[in-house]
Amino acid sequence: MNPILVLGGGPAGLSAAGELAAIGAPTLLVERESYLGGNPVRWQYSLLAPDLHPAEDVMGPLLRRVEGSASIERRLGTTLVSAERSAKGYRVGLKNADTVETREVSAVILATGFDHFDSRRKFEYGYGRYPDVLDFKEVEKMLHEDRIVRPSDGQPPKRIAWILCVGSRDVQVGNPWCCRMGCVVSIKQAVEVRQKHPEIDAYVYYMDIRTYGLWEDLYWKSMQDHGVKFIRGRIGQVTLAEGGSRLLATGEDTILSRPTEVPFDMIILASGMEPSAGTRDVASLFGLPVGPEGFLTPRESDLNPVDSGIPGLFLAGAATGPKAIPDAVTEGMGAALRAYQYARD
Amino acid sequence: MPIVEKSLVEVERTETLEVDGIDVSGDWNTFLKSRVSSDLDARILDWVKGEPQGETISRCWQCGTCTAGCCMHTDYGLTDFNPRYFIYLAQIGYEEELRKYATTIWRCVSCNKCVERCPKGVKVEEVVHRIGSYLTATGAAPESPADRFDRAYTKNLLRRGVLDEAELFREYERLEGRKTPTRELLRMAWTLLKSGRLHTGPLAHRTRGWSRMRSVLEAQLAEDDRAHAPRSRGPPAGGPR
Repeated sequence: MNPILVLGGGPAGLSAAGELAAIGAPTLLVERESYLGGNPVRWQYSLLAPDLHPAEDVMGPLLRRVEGSASIERRLGTTLVSAERSAKGYRVGLKNADTVETREVSAVILATGFDHFDSRRKFEYGYGRYPDVLDFKEVEKMLHEDRIVRPSDGQPPKRIAWILCVGSRDVQVGNPWCCRMGCVVSIKQAVEVRQKHPEIDAYVYYMDIRTYGLWEDLYWKSMQDHGVKFIRGRIGQVTLAEGGSRLLATGEDTILSRPTEVPFDMIILASGMEPSAGTRDVASLFGLPVGPEGFLTPRESDLNPVDSGIPGLFLAGAATGPKAIPDAVTEGMGAALRAYQYARD
Repeated sequence: MPIVEKSLVEVERTETLEVDGIDVSGDWNTFLKSRVSSDLDARILDWVKGEPQGETISRCWQCGTCTAGCCMHTDYGLTDFNPRYFIYLAQIGYEEELRKYATTIWRCVSCNKCVERCPKGVKVEEVVHRIGSYLTATGAAPESPADRFDRAYTKNLLRRGVLDEAELFREYERLEGRKTPTRELLRMAWTLLKSGRLHTGPLAHRTRGWSRMRSVLEAQLAEDDRAHAPRSRGPPAGGPR
């Protein structure tokens, strides 16, 4: 059997490759970056919502299973540059540095994932201009290292605001969808901050809180046990206050029906999830259908959520839309099974 | 911000310029007081949560179920009495706005419909009273005759362990600046004396061993006062649990 190609080494791709190895299928794992693990490793995620497990406890086993397997051929720093249908599977071109290698594969799992929204595009929040306006992916690293300080002066903040839906639910930046994770991750971060530093006040500005299903528990606990405060209203702009030493968040408190201008030491933007560059590339390479949001679209999202509708091509993880790690892992398992069935027959 | 048409703005929101007691601002130089909520004081929430009565405040997510069924707000029609709103102001720490309700907040009749209906188990009735206590303790609410009477009563009782009604009456008159006609006082004194209830001055009752009991009570009251005083130096009393 020719190997099954898994494109992308994030949670979904690692899960798929690990499952394929477990059932004895030869696997070719290709990752664009020079390391495996995807966004959680790239941004050094701290604790994972909603159970507050360290990210290492989830990513570690996924990575070790793949790295310890003899039947998984790993190609890092490698991109897919061509793909054409062959007798049974695909003939693909893999580019590493300047060399392109052609390989025959029996099936392809696309686990090309998402990119965090670039918060500079939401210019009114001052990300990239004011050092103390941070993106929540950067805060993960701070929490991971337990070093919560203002980048401008290295001082610990007294009051932090989280702004939800940055680059999500916003036609101005072309992203009308909900990122699903912004609420729960922001709340998780606020809880983490309050657990480690109860002297820091944490305010979350929200339009809706979408901690759906069992995640609601973390939302409730954040208020009851950790004193995180929620203000309903979307911040319109962030400027400098107090001679430039603090940030001023201007918005409407829609419960008060009143304008609000509150100084903060640090503002954290819950940036949304967009289809990654890799996801957009494979869509055009394989001529895959994409939805209006740019994510890959399964042919039947309810019955066959991991089937692309094109023979031998399977989908997993955030390439098909914003997704939590457990969902990506589950889809990786499903795609591995479907790809194996296809390659075997 | 400056305004050009004074008559369109509520009087209490305008800032005028006075020179020698004469308003010289006119229509073109009147300034409008900002209504932007500009600073939040997290210590209010800590104080409210510092006693079991206020602990459940953090559960509130502002659905408005309490206000919807509130007999003061809905049935009586006192729309300024809005338990959901009081909780929000205390949660986010918007003291300036909260102070406006320093007297209204005490209009609750404790029907407890809100507590029965709250989907998150907030003890709304208790929490609203606790917020009211914050306002009273910080001096936002003017002291009422009842408050003054309560203090005089406690002081009187602590003296000998038995209430001296005649003295309490005199103190109440003094505090409220009232003057009962002498004829009326004499009539009251005579009636009390006849019925054997005029225990004042040399006739006052005493409680045996009272001085020891009093020192214990006074120490406890002083401790309570310290624990309930908001804005004391250092962290708020009680603190978040």
